[in-house]
Amino acid sequence: MIYLDYSSTTPISYDVLESFNKVSKEYIGNPNSLHNLGVKSKDLINNATKQISDLLNISTDEIIYTSGATESNNLALIGVALANQKKGKHIIVSKLEHPSIYKICEYLETIGFKISYVNLKEDGLVDFDDLKQKIKPETILVSICAVNSETGVRQPLKMIRQIVKKENKSCLIHSDMTQSLGKVSINLRDVDLASFSIHKIYGPKGIGILYKNTDVKLMPLIHGSNKETELRPGTPATPLISASAKAIRLSLQDLDRRETFIKRLNEKIIKELSTYEDIKINNTKYSIPHIINISLMNIKPETFIHAMEEYEIYLGTNTACSSGELSASVMAIYNDKKRASQTIRISLSHLTTTDEINQFLTHFKTVYNKLNTLVAA
Amino acid sequence: MKKLIIIKYGELTTKKENINLFINTLKQNISKKLINYKIFINYDKGRMFIKGEEEDFKTIIKELQEVFGIHEIIIGYELDTLEYEKIEKQLVDLLKDKVFKTFKIETKRSNKKINLTSVEISSKIGSYLLKNISNIKVDVHNPELLINLELRNKESYIYFEKIKGLGGYPVGTLGKGILMLSGGIDSPVAGYMTIKRGVKIEALYFESPPHTSQEAKNKVISLAKILSKYNNEIKLHVINFTEIQESIYKNIPHEYLITIMRRMMYRIAEIIAGHENAKIIINGESIGQVASQTLTSMVAINEVVKIPVIRPLACFDKLEIINISKRINAYETSILPYEDCCTIFVPDHPVINPNTKTCHEYEELILFKDLIYKAIKNHEIIKINNQEKNKYKDIL
Repeated sequence: MIYLDYSSTTPISYDVLESFNKVSKEYIGNPNSLHNLGVKSKDLINNATKQISDLLNISTDEIIYTSGATESNNLALIGVALANQKKGKHIIVSKLEHPSIYKICEYLETIGFKISYVNLKEDGLVDFDDLKQKIKPETILVSICAVNSETGVRQPLKMIRQIVKKENKSCLIHSDMTQSLGKVSINLRDVDLASFSIHKIYGPKGIGILYKNTDVKLMPLIHGSNKETELRPGTPATPLISASAKAIRLSLQDLDRRETFIKRLNEKIIKELSTYEDIKINNTKYSIPHIINISLMNIKPETFIHAMEEYEIYLGTNTACSSGELSASVMAIYNDKKRASQTIRISLSHLTTTDEINQFLTHFKTVYNKLNTLVAA
Repeated sequence: MKKLIIIKYGELTTKKENINLFINTLKQNISKKLINYKIFINYDKGRMFIKGEEEDFKTIIKELQEVFGIHEIIIGYELDTLEYEKIEKQLVDLLKDKVFKTFKIETKRSNKKINLTSVEISSKIGSYLLKNISNIKVDVHNPELLINLELRNKESYIYFEKIKGLGGYPVGTLGKGILMLSGGIDSPVAGYMTIKRGVKIEALYFESPPHTSQEAKNKVISLAKILSKYNNEIKLHVINFTEIQESIYKNIPHEYLITIMRRMMYRIAEIIAGHENAKIIINGESIGQVASQTLTSMVAINEVVKIPVIRPLACFDKLEIINISKRINAYETSILPYEDCCTIFVPDHPVINPNTKTCHEYEELILFKDLIYKAIKNHEIIKINNQEKNKYKDIL
C-alpha cells in the first residue's frame, strides 16, 4: 500500500497507541472524582496539559480539549461571536479556509453576523490591502487558515497580526492550524485563538485542541459541568489527552529534518508531473512541501483516484471534507472553474519513502496514459 | 582560547576560616545540579571555572541560577597566556562580532608578580584596541562595552557580561533544619529563605486521612519538589496525624484545639530533628497572621521544645510573602484549594492568648506521648529529587 493522503488523516503511531491503551487500562478513574483513582487520572491529565503547553509555548489554562478541529473552529468562531457581539457583529475570513469555517459563517449570518471574505493575491497569500480595507471598528474577529489544506499555501500570520491590530486593536485573530502543527514551525503568539486536530499528527481520532489566549472571552457552545472545563464541559478523555501529549511531542521532533526530506520528495514529484501537458500544478511558491495539488484537465479526479486504488495507491481529491465539490481554494486562487473541478491532492509524510514515490510516479504514468486515451477516443 | 563559565562566589569570601568548606560544598552542589551535563569544574579561592559543551551553556546558566552561594555567573574566555601581545590579539578577535562605539577595560590581577599595575595594563591594552579597531573611543564613565580582563596564575580571562546569581551560602554549609511544610503560601517561602542561608532542609508534613486528601499530599510533594531545586533533594517526612488530631478534638475544649495541635506538631518536629541530626525547626509563622501566631500563642506553643525555632517570615507582611512565593513559582501550587490538617477541625473562637498552664492541664486528658510515639514509628519518608523530570515518561 502506498498512502499519499496524509493531509486528510494519518495512521496512529505505535508509541501513541501504546500510551492510549495503557492509560485506558490503568487510569480508569474519572479525573473529577475525589478518590485516589480520580486524583491519579487528574494528575496525569495535568502533566499531559503541562507538556503540551510547554511544547506550544503557551500556558496550561490556554488549552481547551475538543473533539477535533471542526469543533475547535466552531467554538472559536461562534464562541467569540456570541461573547463579543456587544463590540460588533462583523467577522472576516479568508478565501482559503477549511469548509467547516464557511459552514460556521453561514450559520453566523443567520443569527445576524456579517461576514466578509478577504481576497487573495495570485500567489495565494491574503491581499493585505483588501484586508486592511475590510477591517472596521465593529470587526470582532479575523480568521485565517495558517496552511491551506488543499493547496498547502502558508499565510504570513505575523504580518497579518500587525495589520489587523494596527487597524483595530481589539479585533481578535483565529487561525486554523490543523495543517501546520507537526509540519512547519508555528508561533501561537501571532494569534489569539488556534485550532488543532490530533489525528493529523499520527494521534488518535476524536480529539482536537483549541488554543485560546487567556484574555479572550468565549461563550461555551455546550453547557455542563465544573469550572475547569467550563468552556467545553464533559468528563476529560484521559487516554485521548495523554495520547495527544505524546503525539504532539513526537510530531515536533526533527521538524526541520523531516521538512527537508519531504521537500526532496516534493521536488521529485513536481518535476515529473510538470512534464505532463494536461496537468496543472496548483501549488504556489508559498505552499508547504507536504501538500501537492494538481488538476487533471482531461480526466475526472474520482475516476483517476479509483484507478490508482487498483495499485493500492491512495490519493485525495480536494479535501476529504468537501469531496465531490469544486475546490474552493483552487477556485479562489486561479478563478478557473474547470481547473477547480479537476483537482487531486497528493500529501506526503516523513513516513513516505523515495521508493514509494518512484512506484507512485510509474503507476501514475500508466493510469494517466490509459485514461487519457479513453478521453481522447 | 576556550569559552567557559566563570563563577564568582557570594558572601563566602568573607568567611575566612571556613572558606574551604564553603567552596567545596558549592562545588559539590554545582556538580549535583549539573549531573546531566558533561562538565569539568576546577576552582581556586576566588573563582570557579566550568568547562563543557558550549551549546549547553544556556541551560547550564539557568540551572546555576538556582544554586545558592553564587554571586555572579559569567560567560568568558580563557587564554593560556599572560603575555600582553597575545591577549591583545585575541581580544581584537573576540571584538569582531561586537558593535560598540565606546569601551572601557577593567583589569584585575591576582598574580602580583606581574610587572604592571591593573590600571597600566588597562591603558596599554586599551591603546592597542584604539589603534586596531576603527571608530571607537574610551569612555570610563558610561561605556557601551565593558571589557573585563583578569590575569591569574598562568591564564588570563576575558569577559563582557555578568549574570546575577542567587547569593546566599552554599546549601549544607550551615547544617540542617526541619521545615514544617503545610501546603500553604508561607512555609515554602520560609524554607526557601532558610536554604538561602546555607541550611539544608528536610520537610515535615502532617496528614490526617480521611480528613485530608491525597491531592493535599500531592500538593505538598509538588511544593517540596520546587524547594528541592535549591536544596539538591528533599527528604519529606509524612506523619499520620489523624489519631492525635481526633483525640484532641474529642477530649479538649475546642478553643484550645489549635494551640494543643501545634504543640503536638512541635514535639514531633523536635523528635524528627533529633533523629536526623538537624539543629533547628523552621516554619512559616508570621507574627499576628492567625490566632496561633500571636506572641502569647507562640510562647505557649514554643514552650514544648528546647531546639531553636526559626521563623524567617516572622516580620513579613502577607504581600511580601506572596511576592517571594510567586518568584519561586510556588504560588500557583500553594493556592490550590485542598484542606490541610490546620484547616480541618477549626474552632469558631480559637483562643488568642492561650495560657501555658491551661495547656498542661488539658494535655493531661490525652495519652499524647503514646500517640506521638506511634505516629513517629509509622512515619513515611519520601525522597524528592528534582532531577526526575517526567514521571509519566513512558506515557507522555
